[in-house]
Amino acid sequence: MKKKIALPKLSDEMKSAVLCAWLKQEGEEYKKGEPIYEIETEKVISQVEAEEDGIMVHQLVEEGDEVSVGAELAEVE
Amino acid sequence: MERKPSWLKVPYNREASLEVAELMKSLGLNTVCKEANCPNLGECYKKHTATFMILGSVCTRNCKYCNVTCGRPEAVDEKEPENIAEAVKKLNLRHVVITQVDRDDLKDGGAGHMARTIKTIKENCKGVTVEVLISDYKGNIDNLKTVLDANPDVLNHNIEMPKELYGEIKPQANYDNSIMILRESKRLRDDILTKTGFMLGLGETDEQIFALMDELRETNCDILTIGQYLQPSANHAKLYRYVTPEEFEKYKNIALEKGFKFVVSTPLVRSSYRAHEAMEEAKK
Repeated sequence: MKKKIALPKLSDEMKSAVLCAWLKQEGEEYKKGEPIYEIETEKVISQVEAEEDGIMVHQLVEEGDEVSVGAELAEVE
Repeated sequence: MERKPSWLKVPYNREASLEVAELMKSLGLNTVCKEANCPNLGECYKKHTATFMILGSVCTRNCKYCNVTCGRPEAVDEKEPENIAEAVKKLNLRHVVITQVDRDDLKDGGAGHMARTIKTIKENCKGVTVEVLISDYKGNIDNLKTVLDANPDVLNHNIEMPKELYGEIKPQANYDNSIMILRESKRLRDDILTKTGFMLGLGETDEQIFALMDELRETNCDILTIGQYLQPSANHAKLYRYVTPEEFEKYKNIALEKGFKFVVSTPLVRSSYRAHEAMEEAKK
């Protein structure tokens, strides 16, 4: 089943982040716990880990884009 | 936003982070991990470790490098020591790190509450070691004695930066008080390990860093942590430089040569990072 993954809120103050790298490309499978993308916030670069097994279907934002907390980043299944 | 160097990468696992966050919330507890927006939160929460911050989440001091909210603090939660002991059991911690906000509004600076927290953990969680990261208590030695009398295993007080930077970045604190806290702690209780730490990237020079290390060693301080300053927002103290992991290693070796028993020095090091290991190594 296809669904969207959204930018999580990593801290109380966080409003947005820069998506600096996709670590899984479209069509690529991943396991729960594997890092799937990197975001840059005020202090560091966070490698966000997958919450469940899946396939990266369609990336909705490009590397370098600034995105808001809760914004949809990709379609996965 | 300036691009971060590649060595400032950390894992983030939402599920694991939420688990610890919800436990803290259910017990009405604060962690410095969350309040200071610590870069290691994801990694530490995933490993089920956290550093408790007592006496509320609002600090009476407004240090320019710190993300903790400054303002009028909440009333002290008298149940906090018991709730922390419960969280220690639920997280199955062997070594607990307790820090506090500065409470210059309280007569004892919160030392009594800190002491009760240490005693409650020791009584309820057998075999657990306790490390405290305390205020300078405005140089009040009676307050320091209150904490030492509760027998923490490690007494940490962070010096944070060289003396020359205090006026601009830590204006409500006094460098000499912090040195005195470390010195008196060792003089009063030689059996309790002392620990301190400072950040790099606030505009300090090598000369100032080496002089700071010398002064800390003169207090007979046992353990030193050195980490990268990370600017919480554009409103905080300016970040002057990113120090490379190789440079951190260089500072570590210099600190060891100067006589510290254990030194942890890498970009993402914070006071409680590898705290248990540091205590065990320094005891040898």
